[in-house]
Amino acid sequence: MTTSTTTVTGAPELSLAQQGVKLGRWMTLPTQLLLVFIFAFPGAMIIYVSMSWWGPLDGVPWYYAYESLNWFDNYAELLEDERFWGSMWRTFIIMIVVVPVEFFLGLGLAILFVDNFALKRVFYSVLLMPMMVVPAVAGYMFYILFQSNGPINQLLSLITGYEIDLVWLSDPDNAFIAIMVADIWQWTPLMFLILLAGLLGVPEDQLKAATLLGANWAQKFWRIALPKMRIVMVIALVIRAVEAFKLFDVMYVMTKGGPGVATETISVYIYKVTFLELEWSYVSAIGFAVLMFLTALGGIGIAILANAQKKKRLADVVD
Amino acid sequence: MSSIELTNLTKRFGDLVAVKDLDLSIKDREFVALLGPSGCGKTTTMNMIAGIEAPSGGSVCFDTRDITHTSMGKRGVGFVFQNYAIFIHMSVYKNLAFGLEVAGTPRAEIDRQVADMAKLMRLTRQINWPAERLSVNELQRLAIGRSAIIKPNIFLLDEPLSNLDAAFRAEMRTELKHLQHELQQTMVYVTHDQLEAMSMADRIAVMDLGVLQQYGSPLDVYNRPTNRFVANFIGAPSMNLLDCRIVGENGATKLDFGEAGSLTPGNDDPLTQICQRAQQDRVVFGFRPEDVKLEPDGGGGLSMKVTFVERIGPRSIIHLEGPGHEVKAVGDNQIPARIGDIMRVGSGGLSHLFDADTGRRVE
Repeated sequence: MTTSTTTVTGAPELSLAQQGVKLGRWMTLPTQLLLVFIFAFPGAMIIYVSMSWWGPLDGVPWYYAYESLNWFDNYAELLEDERFWGSMWRTFIIMIVVVPVEFFLGLGLAILFVDNFALKRVFYSVLLMPMMVVPAVAGYMFYILFQSNGPINQLLSLITGYEIDLVWLSDPDNAFIAIMVADIWQWTPLMFLILLAGLLGVPEDQLKAATLLGANWAQKFWRIALPKMRIVMVIALVIRAVEAFKLFDVMYVMTKGGPGVATETISVYIYKVTFLELEWSYVSAIGFAVLMFLTALGGIGIAILANAQKKKRLADVVD
Repeated sequence: MSSIELTNLTKRFGDLVAVKDLDLSIKDREFVALLGPSGCGKTTTMNMIAGIEAPSGGSVCFDTRDITHTSMGKRGVGFVFQNYAIFIHMSVYKNLAFGLEVAGTPRAEIDRQVADMAKLMRLTRQINWPAERLSVNELQRLAIGRSAIIKPNIFLLDEPLSNLDAAFRAEMRTELKHLQHELQQTMVYVTHDQLEAMSMADRIAVMDLGVLQQYGSPLDVYNRPTNRFVANFIGAPSMNLLDCRIVGENGATKLDFGEAGSLTPGNDDPLTQICQRAQQDRVVFGFRPEDVKLEPDGGGGLSMKVTFVERIGPRSIIHLEGPGHEVKAVGDNQIPARIGDIMRVGSGGLSHLFDADTGRRVE
């Protein structure tokens, strides 16, 4: 047997690290393919369809959409669609109101739950319950609560002493409020949970050290706990802000976007265009636009985090 | 100025008694070390002095003020945690300034005091660094500086040197002692390292299983251990403790070690009187490895075989074994001992007797 430096196949020998990388590629291939199917493929399909007039009643499959190719006509239409901008605006308003309210309620509750008190576990479970309720059921519950002769009005009458029979769900402004109340009820627990985890992650020794140095409660909160919770807070806010755009089930059960389009959010609008008007190419354009918007929103959140990290690193360099 | 008075201090965690009826008085400006193995209750005691832990019974007084039920923020003690508990999201400056800032001290005053403290702690160069960049040694100095800046009358340190490397630990021992002198404070220092306790403390409180075993000056604790535990715990290598019987024979007193042989103290040796005063004959004979007298086989003393020789630079530690007994001896590095040699072991210095049942010192 002769020893030879050239092998028969001619393939160069791979180092262990290179072999590892190669093996890694093969082993992640199924996941990557899965990602292609659940993200890249539908994404490309939506962009493709959004650039045509294709609809389900055309009698041809979606891949024949090029027959009615119109490039950016759907997007041009979108820019002038008052219902689209109206629903975007309403979604935005809901987000602006609901997310901060949930945040501060959640933070307040989380602060209460750091220390031990009687029946803490019971309250804890009760507090998390709304999150577990199926949104459609929650919607139905609030639908009942907000009837003109329903419990909410009865309760208000009892408190104020006057006979109150507010029209909630059929009044454009009140319906809006009712929906926000329902969302706050359902999703404050999630904020609470995330923020409590953040609060409990603050090192106890540092809080003790601050106490021994004479810091009072507020000083400990602002100087020790808050800086350490910044990342958790941004994550919680971004998650809920993005989810506000997905608001659908609760409000669809409560108002179906009505009266008129008074509570029509972007999700409800997309639903209506899809199933009532069957303009699927237009829906694709809306969907893509919303995706871009949410990506930008998420991007801002990530940028805030990255900026905080960079500041820290900059401070490291200065010496 | 503050003295500390602990009276009947007790702490229970469920069924576990961590500290039991502890009485301890610490004088103003005294440096006291709480020394003991882990789980002896020393840290719990410290936490009760600081107010981190509420006692199950007894009281804590500073001077004549009973502060047992005062919250920890109002006791005015400085506390250095074992892991330092530095605010790592802040700069060194912010850490040092924290205690002054929360008290509302004017900025100019803060700047001046922080600069002084940074200089004292040799952190001037790092003053604007984020604290997370500091080395362990620097973190340790920062932890002390951060507590010292608010000028507490009482300074509590919980094993502050245990995370440091050996060379820096030796340096810090001198420095801490110097610092205490400079700051004029009462210091309580928790440690399991007897060398730290011996070298720094004015008085040492040795604890075991939640009970105070002995409280005295380092030399007192070393030379007159009150019981078997203290005798064994203080000193490295630890004291040789051999079970034996006191036997009176023809008017002379000797200690019988069974097959290993016996020792007969001379008439002028205080041990003779101690043996005569002892209430019972079953005792434990204690003598330090440094005081062991080794002689070639054939002389008096206990016959033992060398099992191991540790040569540690300037000194050698000789391990010897006889029937039913083990002894360690420390000698210079020239000591002519080889594994397997039979030698005669005796005590050439201070010896101690302890009651075999209670472990108490007999004298």
